[in-house]
Amino acid sequence: MDILPAISIIAAALAVGFGAIGPALAEGRAVAAAMDAIARQPESAGTLSRTLFVGLAMIETMAIYCLVIALLVLFANPFVK
Amino acid sequence: MHIDWWTLGLQALNVGVLLWIFSRFLFRPVADIVRKRQEAADAVLAQAEASRTAALAHEAEVQVNADRLSAERGRVMADAEAQARATAEAILSDANRDAARIRADAEVATVALKEAEMTRLATQASRLSLEITRKLLARLPYELLVSGFIDGLSEAVAHLPEETRAGMGNPDQPLILTAARPLTDAERQTCQDVLERILGRSVTLTTETDPSLLAGLELEAPHALVRNSFRADLERIEARLIHHD
Amino acid sequence: MISSPLSTDVLFHIGPIPVSDPVVVTWGIMAVMTLGLWLATRRLTIKAGPVQAVLEMIVEVIDGQIRESMQVDPAPYRTLIGTLFLFIFIANWSSLIPGVEPPTAHIETDAALAALVGGATLYFGIRVRGLGGYLKTFAEPSWVMIPLNIIEQITRTFSLIVRLFGNVMSGVFVIGIVLSLAGLLVPIPLMALDLLTGAVQAYIFAILATVFLGSAVSGEEGGKPEPQPPQKED
Repeated sequence: MDILPAISIIAAALAVGFGAIGPALAEGRAVAAAMDAIARQPESAGTLSRTLFVGLAMIETMAIYCLVIALLVLFANPFVK
Repeated sequence: MHIDWWTLGLQALNVGVLLWIFSRFLFRPVADIVRKRQEAADAVLAQAEASRTAALAHEAEVQVNADRLSAERGRVMADAEAQARATAEAILSDANRDAARIRADAEVATVALKEAEMTRLATQASRLSLEITRKLLARLPYELLVSGFIDGLSEAVAHLPEETRAGMGNPDQPLILTAARPLTDAERQTCQDVLERILGRSVTLTTETDPSLLAGLELEAPHALVRNSFRADLERIEARLIHHD
Repeated sequence: MISSPLSTDVLFHIGPIPVSDPVVVTWGIMAVMTLGLWLATRRLTIKAGPVQAVLEMIVEVIDGQIRESMQVDPAPYRTLIGTLFLFIFIANWSSLIPGVEPPTAHIETDAALAALVGGATLYFGIRVRGLGGYLKTFAEPSWVMIPLNIIEQITRTFSLIVRLFGNVMSGVFVIGIVLSLAGLLVPIPLMALDLLTGAVQAYIFAILATVFLGSAVSGEEGGKPEPQPPQKED
């Protein structure tokens, strides 16, 4: 049993797991702020929710990057022959 | 991981073709039609603006016409009013003049009537008085009807002009002595005597009778007439009374 | 072991050229778009019908977004931005058709799109400001920033590629995993989320392209600070 695949799997799991923490916190704060703003100004709920979705997608991109890294490690690892 | 360069190239080509497709079949036609619609809307707006301008011009024209008509109507009305006022004034002045004339006429007529009435009353009163006089005279004594007047006759003859007296009493031109009643011989003689005394010569005397003399004697010569009777007196009085002068 | 989502399958060859799966799907999208748009815009009238009204609304929304982001007349950029948005949107939603994998789930397509954005940025920047003017924007606010600006140009293009690729590919990948685990109806919410993600990513890609173009043609903001703050986090 080669050690490299095992390390790759662990690295992928760590990348996705830790990489999800930051975006999760950020998304929570973003949604909380958006809810606060909507509660203050219900008339601008449309603009706020649209901006919120775009922002969430932006934040989510962080987690997606981690996922890409994990997939690269898993499927396209240059060190695993 | 490896990148398929052929796929990358083909996809780049595809994206370029997609650009053309979207441009050719979506964006350009839609932009064109939007522009056309905009132009149409602009045209319609311009037309509406032109129509509005025309309508405004028309309205102004109508307003001008209305003003003109109004002014004309005002002028006509003023004219008519002035004319009516003039006519009314003319009629009024005519009426006033007529009324004044009528009133003046009426006053004149009234005055005339009054005068006529007064004249008539005066005349009537005069006649009445004369009639009374005649009636009263008729009751005088018979002799007095002649004798009382002989003196008057002689006086009147004496006052005649000389040439008149000269022609009186010629035999060819007898004097006519008119009395109210037939003269008696004595009376006739008296008269002849008196006349001869006054005239200074003999006179031929014919006598006549005229009851209308009432009383008195009248001597008639070819060129003279001596009226010495109540009738003559009364006539004189009457003339003076009635004619008021 | 499921197959790698990063690989591309070559379906057939035209001469020496290998034609892969995303290329074929893109061709299909192109054909459908050409036919549909030709039919839809064949008879445009001033009095818009329903289809024409929808098309005009799409174009006007794109125009409005460009005008809002760039503060310029949207006409020169309408085709580029509109094509990016509509193609990515349709490509992302093409996963609704069974057996079709979105071409944007392969990094070559995203790379081609990002290369188009980079080339358009260069083209419009030079066209509007001149070659010297455009190169001078790299030295803002001072010449010290030149390497950083160049790196930023490259990294933001890469971030465009990886963001779109990662989002779409992860959606496809997750759906594939769930489908292999759980059968019939379970992937449907994930597919719905995937559609939402696809639409949002198409919008983000187009908006970021607009922002890049705007900073290139009207870059009075000082060059260094990105107009879109989230961009710096990539």
